[in-house]
Amino acid sequence: MGHGAMLTLGAYLMWATTKMGVPFVLAALISALGVGLVGLLLEHIVIRHFYGEPLETLLLTWGFFLITTELIKIVFGTDLREVVNPLPGSFELGTVRFPVYRSLVALFAVVLIVAAALVFYKTRIGIRIRALMQNAEVASLLGLNIQLTYKFVFVTGSFMAGLAGALISPMLSVDPYIGNIFLVRSFFAVTVGGVGQILGGTLAGSFLVGGMETVFALVSSQVVAQTIVFALAIVILRFRPQGVVTSR
Amino acid sequence: MTEANRTRVLPGLPPQVRRVREPVVAIGVFAILALLPLLFSGYVIYILPQYMLFGVLAMSLALLWGFCGMLSFGQAGFFALGAYTMGLCVQHAGAVGVNAAYLALVISMAAGTVIASAVGYFLFSAGVRDSYFVIVTLALSIIAEQIAVGQSQITGGWNGMFIPRMELSLWRWKFPLDSDASIYYVIVVFVAATYFFLRWISRAKFGKVLAGIRENEDRVLSLGFKVPLYKTATFAISAGLACMAGALYGTHAAFVAPSLAGVLFSTEVVVWVAIAGRSSLLAALLGGIVVSSISNALSAITPQYWQLVLGVLFVLVVAFFRGGIAGAVHRFAAHREG
Repeated sequence: MGHGAMLTLGAYLMWATTKMGVPFVLAALISALGVGLVGLLLEHIVIRHFYGEPLETLLLTWGFFLITTELIKIVFGTDLREVVNPLPGSFELGTVRFPVYRSLVALFAVVLIVAAALVFYKTRIGIRIRALMQNAEVASLLGLNIQLTYKFVFVTGSFMAGLAGALISPMLSVDPYIGNIFLVRSFFAVTVGGVGQILGGTLAGSFLVGGMETVFALVSSQVVAQTIVFALAIVILRFRPQGVVTSR
Repeated sequence: MTEANRTRVLPGLPPQVRRVREPVVAIGVFAILALLPLLFSGYVIYILPQYMLFGVLAMSLALLWGFCGMLSFGQAGFFALGAYTMGLCVQHAGAVGVNAAYLALVISMAAGTVIASAVGYFLFSAGVRDSYFVIVTLALSIIAEQIAVGQSQITGGWNGMFIPRMELSLWRWKFPLDSDASIYYVIVVFVAATYFFLRWISRAKFGKVLAGIRENEDRVLSLGFKVPLYKTATFAISAGLACMAGALYGTHAAFVAPSLAGVLFSTEVVVWVAIAGRSSLLAALLGGIVVSSISNALSAITPQYWQLVLGVLFVLVVAFFRGGIAGAVHRFAAHREG
């Protein structure tokens, strides 16, 4: 639940670092690392005592969201901030025009998802995470350091959220609440796609949630589109709680 | 139960003297609330009923969360639905011949109950629970806010909607509630009635099944109780009450804006209930009244730091004092008693 605030924090760090004249790519990296550090502190101080209690963890991360949002308001103020688009302009492919920056970010996102899936399925750390998900007790009996693995996953998640915030910031005006809507969207993308299905699930989920929203927005207003997509996501959650993509 | 109490009580003192029970405290609170208009006038009497209605909203969440273990991030959506229903009824139902405000109270309660039953049964019958339910209610609240913003021809969009103050009527007799004191008493009666209704529910067999669901859902299910029906009924009652409180809020405040439905207000309710104590109705009620009063008083001075303090308090309560203030008081009383 705290990931909304982490996205917002990433966007604000991006604004602050680019304002100081740091080059764009470096600034995005600094923002993501900064948010990852915040995630590490949060995990170490609070969250690690509450594994196995999902509802309490959810409330705590929501508390983190409230606190971070207020801190952002105190430090940065509530005015809208603009991050300069580093690659303005667009290119044409056939008859369709694509904005350069958005296309690059989309490409980068796909690369990142594939990379995450490779780590998840092909490396030692990936197999540890999967063991943890399937049966934490047995995994710890086999000598897996559960605390450390959870920590790694949490910090990586924070890092990714911060990176997303940093990269998304040039596309919209940054205000302390931008994380809100993305939180619900991403949660639905994950559940619709299937929890634990990094490659297929995340891609299918994001395309379903994002794509349907765009399609419905063509025929009606943006607001109606979002409402319909949320309602559909609830329906999918009801009938396929394991997600659209499953391993079996 | 009485056996157990009696053995702990020292000889010579009847149990009633040593244990102050919650309904006694509650009657005291309502008596104080009822006497306040004699002592104060002006802004306090104007604003307090709104906070009492927030208190009802908090109680509706306590029923869901404290008694049944289902956390909702969407209570404010129902509250706003009630307020908008009141506005629409008063604007359009004047010709029907009955008091539009009465109609609005009935319709808003029905709307909340029906929506919550439909969504609730849809989800609970498939075993959707815990965090998933939280996220669904969060989405409901976002949907409510977006509809309020988007359907501006009906709701007034960002500008909100103005609602005339209701009047009481019975047959030929009519009593406008224009003065702050008169509507104050109507709302005190509503709040007290809600409290005792919810207390009755929680003490009845129904409430015991809810507690069972909270403690061990699978066991209650295997004992043969229709858990989805119980959960749906709880969600429906909770939503209906939130809607009615919202309708009264609408007519009292004379104004609704989309932010009333929003995620932030929804989660604010969660914060009140968590800090005050999720398993006590009275604590939830007082939490709603007190925290929103303090918020109002401090928002003039340091709005942001107050919210920050509230956030930190919330995290501390969730991490260390599950029962909130009410739980701490309860433990202290039990300790004193030995």
